[in-house]
Amino acid sequence: MTSNEPTVDYAGIPLPEVMIMTNRLLKAETTEKVLDALATVGHIRQINMTGESLPKTINSGPNKGLDNNHSERKAIEFNGKEVELRHLVGAFYLELDVEDEDTLDATVAGIKEACDRTIPFGYDLQVGRYSKYRTSLHDYRGA
Amino acid sequence: MAYKRQFYPGATTPAVNRRRYMDPKVNLKKLRDVSMDDVVRIMGHRNPGEDYKTIHAPLDENPYETLCPIRALVKPIEGAKSGDRIRYIQFTDSVYFAPISPYQRAWMYLSRYRGIDTGTLSGRQIIEVRERDLEVLAKEMIDNETFDPALTGIRGATVHGHACRLDENGLMFDGWQRYVWDDSKKEVVYVKDQVALPLDRKISVGKPASMSDLQKRTTIFRADGVDMRDDKEVSMYGLRIHKLRTLGGYQPFKVKGV
Repeated sequence: MTSNEPTVDYAGIPLPEVMIMTNRLLKAETTEKVLDALATVGHIRQINMTGESLPKTINSGPNKGLDNNHSERKAIEFNGKEVELRHLVGAFYLELDVEDEDTLDATVAGIKEACDRTIPFGYDLQVGRYSKYRTSLHDYRGA
Repeated sequence: MAYKRQFYPGATTPAVNRRRYMDPKVNLKKLRDVSMDDVVRIMGHRNPGEDYKTIHAPLDENPYETLCPIRALVKPIEGAKSGDRIRYIQFTDSVYFAPISPYQRAWMYLSRYRGIDTGTLSGRQIIEVRERDLEVLAKEMIDNETFDPALTGIRGATVHGHACRLDENGLMFDGWQRYVWDDSKKEVVYVKDQVALPLDRKISVGKPASMSDLQKRTTIFRADGVDMRDDKEVSMYGLRIHKLRTLGGYQPFKVKGV
């Protein structure tokens, strides 16, 4: 069973999250641009990305085990660190470090502005809570 | 009275296209010309120029042939005559207005070709034929209007992508990247065969069609294109089959005037 534990420590309160679904799957280069743009927006506690999986090797059929060499499965640079992309990114989940509605609105506006600038073909943005924010009993269960 | 064959009801564009693709009397438009050697390379069953491998002796060398009543009735296709292996090609069709979808592929294949076996899944359609006949069929299917370089994929395994969002170049997602976008020529080129073995050289399958053109060519009913409910005859045909199957399953005595 894969672990479903939260990716960062519990903030003490359930923080709001922004979900960005892009209309097209993004190239690694565009993903990097989006992340760089989001980095300039304050009050973001963590960013998780997902999309369509790009296997490292051919995972079935007669050529199983052969290198896949997908041009978009590569390392991108973010915040001075290398991030290994394993997906063709199509969604961003941003946990916001905000405590009142005014800050929330201002942060969401900043995120929208960053996305408008960098995401081609449009996107869908929603505010809510889409992932787990603290460990639960389930995470202590054995396999 | 002689029975006149019917294909599909409806008057909307997808319904008319379904009829066209299924009707064997309609010659499908040829939009590109991928050479036979390249088709053979993309399928990856044999090298171009290589002999066909056989699984039995040619039929005319078979002493029992004349004793078989079925063989007396059915004229064999070329590959069967020569004893070819049975090989396959598999197409994946995107939900984003691909020219055709898997279910209609089955209808079309069965309506147009002899000696084939085809299987339908949600996003892909496999077709199995004797090797030399398969090559002719595969070339026709890649060259004609049922194929779009961006929204139709030739994928023998790991076909995932038909219901995924398109990428930035408008290509259907493929985790194995069998085809790539050539930005200088604005064309789609195959760099791997249908089971992801890298090809010796790139094979161009041409330019993708525009979305407005695809919406005229597609057989797919979609809420953001032509909604199936907008075609009264198609809706009634579906409802009728649904009703007959449901009632026929448990209260067949109620099937009256349906």
